[in-house]
Amino acid sequence: MIQRRILATSLVVMALVGCTKDPAPNEQMRLTEQAVEQAKAVGADEQIPEMVLAEQKLARAQKNMNEEDYKRARMFAEQAELDARLAEGRALTSKSEKQLADLNARIKRLHKQLGEMP
Amino acid sequence: MNANSMRLTLALLAVSLLAGCATQPDAEQSLEAARDSFQKVKEDTDALRYAPRDVIRAGDSLSRADRLSTYWGSDADVEHYAYLSQRYSAIATEHTKLSINQERQAKLQLEIERLQLNLREAKLVSVQQQGKWLEEQINLATTETDRGLVLTLGDVLFDPADSELKPAANRTLLKLTQFLQLNPRRVVRVEGYTDNRGSSEENLTLSKARAQAVADTMIDLGIDEKRIQVVGYGADFPVTENASNRGRAQNRRVEIVFSDDQGKLGSDR
Repeated sequence: MIQRRILATSLVVMALVGCTKDPAPNEQMRLTEQAVEQAKAVGADEQIPEMVLAEQKLARAQKNMNEEDYKRARMFAEQAELDARLAEGRALTSKSEKQLADLNARIKRLHKQLGEMP
Repeated sequence: MNANSMRLTLALLAVSLLAGCATQPDAEQSLEAARDSFQKVKEDTDALRYAPRDVIRAGDSLSRADRLSTYWGSDADVEHYAYLSQRYSAIATEHTKLSINQERQAKLQLEIERLQLNLREAKLVSVQQQGKWLEEQINLATTETDRGLVLTLGDVLFDPADSELKPAANRTLLKLTQFLQLNPRRVVRVEGYTDNRGSSEENLTLSKARAQAVADTMIDLGIDEKRIQVVGYGADFPVTENASNRGRAQNRRVEIVFSDDQGKLGSDR
């Protein structure tokens, strides 16, 4: 009986601990919005799955902020930030791959021209 | 269910809760995936070189997820940090690719500049060689006469009794034009000749028309017409007897007389 009471008490304590309110993650929200903007600025769009995730999660985070569910807001915002940074990286890499292809094509043309010289 | 089996079940449950089995399969899976990703970037020397901060953050998030996984009821947090860790690993990979691409781009850019330089030099050499080659060709094809250097375009470059140049003449005239472009002070006199068949008036007209056709082509190719004089001599000044077909063919010709390199032409015949 006593043991059961202890168990119940500890459960209540844990529940209470879990309920302590997280502070509003304002700084994280700002960081995430910035990361999403930056990814867009370098040309990341909905072709990149991570960009879609970033926007979805940012929207969820904003909704959670309004509901004062700060723990969830922070988690979504943190994930969205990294989704956006990954999308940005992918956009930049794919651009650089195109540039590489262009450079290689130019080199090929130059070699061809040089080969045709008398 | 009897009391014994109930007790057993409870005991098993308690054991599993206590025995580090704090995380559920989902959390355990994402943790495992994060570990794999981190392991890969950690062993990638390029990633360590180009994206060390992302690799470190992947490791930090992973240990956080690992730590949390020993607590009961922290599945959401474990998954969260495992997710962040995986993202950092992926970002590290992406940044590494980007840096490697950028280094390659810089190298290729240099290669392009080198090739462009080579090409420019090759073109320059080829113009010079062409100039030299042309000069040799012109010298070979020309004969030094009292009128100066003379290049003879044979009868085969025209259809019989026609002043239209055949396409076969283009090559020679292109070379001639290049030669004049490389020797801007030289001028030429284009002289037409026929054999002795037909009336002298017709021959005069035909010889002039053929010479003019050659001059026109040179003008089309970019030589200033002021540098070209045109004359028709008809059947005068044969180079050989008009007695045979062969002889007559040799007499039907257009001669191009070159000035010296100061632009001084020998006088008309």
